[in-house]
Amino acid sequence: MKRYLLHRLLLFLPTLLGSLTLVFFLIHLIPGDPVEVMLGETASSADKEALRRELGLNLPIWTQYLRFLTALAQGDLGHSLYEQGGVTELILIRFPATLELTLAAMGVALCIAFPLGIMAAVKKNSWMDQSSLIFSLLGLAMPNFWLGPLLMIAFSIELGWLPVSGRGGLAHLILPSLTLGMVMAAILIRMIRSSLLETIHEDYIQTARAKGLSEWRVWLKHALRNSLLSVITIVGLQFGALLAGSIITETIFTWPGIGRLTIQAIQTRDYPLVQGCILVISTSYLVVNLLTDLLYHLADPRVSYGR
Amino acid sequence: MRLKPFFLLVAVWIGAALAACLPSPQPNRPSGYLIIALESNPTHLDPRYATDANSVRIAGLIFNSLTRTDEHSRFRPDLAERWEAIDDLTYLFHLKKGITFHNGKPLTAADIKFTYESVLDPNNRSPRRGPLQLLKAVDLIGPYQILFRLSAPYAPFLENSTLGIVPAGTPGAAQENSLIGSGPFSLEEFSPGEKVVLKANSSYWEGSPGVSGLVFKIIPDAIARSLEFKKGTVDFIQNDIEPDMLPWLKKNTDAFIITHQGTIFQYIGVNLDHPILKVREVRQAIAYAIDREAIIRHLLKGLAAPATGLLSPSHWAYEPSVPRFPYDPEEAKRLLDRAGFPDPDGDGPLPRFKLSYKTTTLDLRRRIAEAFKEQLARVGIELEVRTYEWGTFYGDIQKGNFHLYSLSWVGITDPDIYFTLFHSRSTPPSGNNRGRYRNPEVDQLLEEGRKSLNLEERKRIYGGVQKILALDLPTIPLWWQKNVVVMKRNIAGFVPYPDGDLTSLKNVSFAPSPPSS
Repeated sequence: MKRYLLHRLLLFLPTLLGSLTLVFFLIHLIPGDPVEVMLGETASSADKEALRRELGLNLPIWTQYLRFLTALAQGDLGHSLYEQGGVTELILIRFPATLELTLAAMGVALCIAFPLGIMAAVKKNSWMDQSSLIFSLLGLAMPNFWLGPLLMIAFSIELGWLPVSGRGGLAHLILPSLTLGMVMAAILIRMIRSSLLETIHEDYIQTARAKGLSEWRVWLKHALRNSLLSVITIVGLQFGALLAGSIITETIFTWPGIGRLTIQAIQTRDYPLVQGCILVISTSYLVVNLLTDLLYHLADPRVSYGR
Repeated sequence: MRLKPFFLLVAVWIGAALAACLPSPQPNRPSGYLIIALESNPTHLDPRYATDANSVRIAGLIFNSLTRTDEHSRFRPDLAERWEAIDDLTYLFHLKKGITFHNGKPLTAADIKFTYESVLDPNNRSPRRGPLQLLKAVDLIGPYQILFRLSAPYAPFLENSTLGIVPAGTPGAAQENSLIGSGPFSLEEFSPGEKVVLKANSSYWEGSPGVSGLVFKIIPDAIARSLEFKKGTVDFIQNDIEPDMLPWLKKNTDAFIITHQGTIFQYIGVNLDHPILKVREVRQAIAYAIDREAIIRHLLKGLAAPATGLLSPSHWAYEPSVPRFPYDPEEAKRLLDRAGFPDPDGDGPLPRFKLSYKTTTLDLRRRIAEAFKEQLARVGIELEVRTYEWGTFYGDIQKGNFHLYSLSWVGITDPDIYFTLFHSRSTPPSGNNRGRYRNPEVDQLLEEGRKSLNLEERKRIYGGVQKILALDLPTIPLWWQKNVVVMKRNIAGFVPYPDGDLTSLKNVSFAPSPPSS
């Protein structure tokens, strides 16, 4: 296990470097000039050229890349070209908001998906199964940009229970996490149901029943546990995707997360900020993937990390 | 019970999510503050760095400048009591006395000298340096007198006198949460991407503002802005309203809605190096083929007026008697035939020629582009619409990599803007003549307009420029956007400005009785 963990941690570096390199060259190759954004349309060409020299943007792209890597190795992500402050500061302000929303959305999804998925499998072809199917289809069919405003109108305007947008206390978190969590719950419900139904016909389930275990115990302890691997994979992937920024939900609910920051940075060709955001997003993905792999063992001890 | 760890993990997960919310309780609405919704984040409130519209408007409430513009883009005294052009290279400003910064320090000519020199210092990377390139020196004559010396005659220099003044010693690119000005409001909080909070300056030299303060909430989504207004958590929105949302607001809220003529000018940019588009009749045909009225009615919900050129009718230099191109597809076809681009198969599917049209990915821009495509197809021009995210789009436009594109001009004050847009020396990167327009007659007029200090003479010069451009169509005018203000009925004293300036927020108060629509 320790050996596996070490191996995975060592793989972090080349993976991160790969994603940062790719993004570095892509963002520099697409049209757009950060100096135009910084100095405005009225600046003289001499001033623009001077700033390009100062920022090192006139250097060959390979030299710029090496400079970036050297600074990164020293833990320096640089300063934003457009926003105020250092890249690290800007990310540290925004990332907790994204983490908060992602955790809450994941909580919502799991709380909805597990009971409904299990009920759908246990009561296969009953009204409960049909209802969970309808719920799941609705969840998948409703895009965030539609569901978000719908929830706002219902809970903020008509009922007046919750704030419309912004980040504040728990009340502010409910609607965006519901919006994000619904889609994930919809996917998970179907996944849990089908995995459970596959597992329930295995021989060891028959053995458990023959031992006289109660039906719920058979489902929850024996069937569910063995169905979790595929569910954990999906949860891990979704969690990573949400951490990468749920731009639409963040925009609708004025949630100051890293998704909006990344998009703004790309639009203004704020190279250091784009790199910083991608670094955080890639690292989050890698950490979540690692945690997902470790969870496999927790869910099913037969999964081994040895050679 | 080996399942326990998993459920425990889920419980921890949910617990962490809930705990993450606890340390930041919901902020209460500050009493007596006016809440204003903005679509985009003001990036810099320091007037030496503020260039985007929201930054400039908010900075205008924190800082004073030597002059400020009125609703006709004329310069009026602000910190300056009066000013005089000693000759065409020298301007002398006499300052008002007794004005203090928010920290109580008196505002003197030394602060003005510092602010301008700070902008001129290339190390400070101020985007305001470009327009000040002809400023040779700023000399103190006394504590309340300051002299500006130019290296060449430059009539639009006064436009630079609207630069906000910071206290001497304020570092370049300073921490913007601690900015000090002398305006009607002081900066209380600046959380980029979230909000800007301004507090009323009770000792303001023109009198204390009518509200306790202003909160500018950044709400990027159009629906969320309208719903916040409906809920009562936003009091005031200017222009950041999608045309589609206005009927909903009228029906579902008791908003007091003001629409009035604005100065934001929307146009189609044309690449004059293109072999087809360099023919003037083709550009005129495109102008005739576009049904502006229909687009304004259906897509913009009436929130615009057909434009004849860059300067709107509220501007002092506006020239009304220019050639116009109302919707006339038959005339467009005749012009194209005459220009040597006949329709190869009459009403058949083959076009006379194909052009591309670049625009941004904004939903409204895309819909307008589709309308252009449809309208130009009726006269035999096939338009390929290409949408790009802003950075790529703007990069292409600056490089001249386009046939047609659409953009708007915001914040036009001095008609010298024509120099940077249409003078043959102003092609990027030296200016914004992106279409590569070259006309010696226009060049000469624009150079004269820069030198003359006589307002009537300048009016005549720029009138001539407007007539030539309206006929030549290096850019095809579309419309002037109307300003829309949506506010609570208990707000009194707001005076809308054509350029969307928010200066009059200092006179706003919460009235006991609502105004009538």
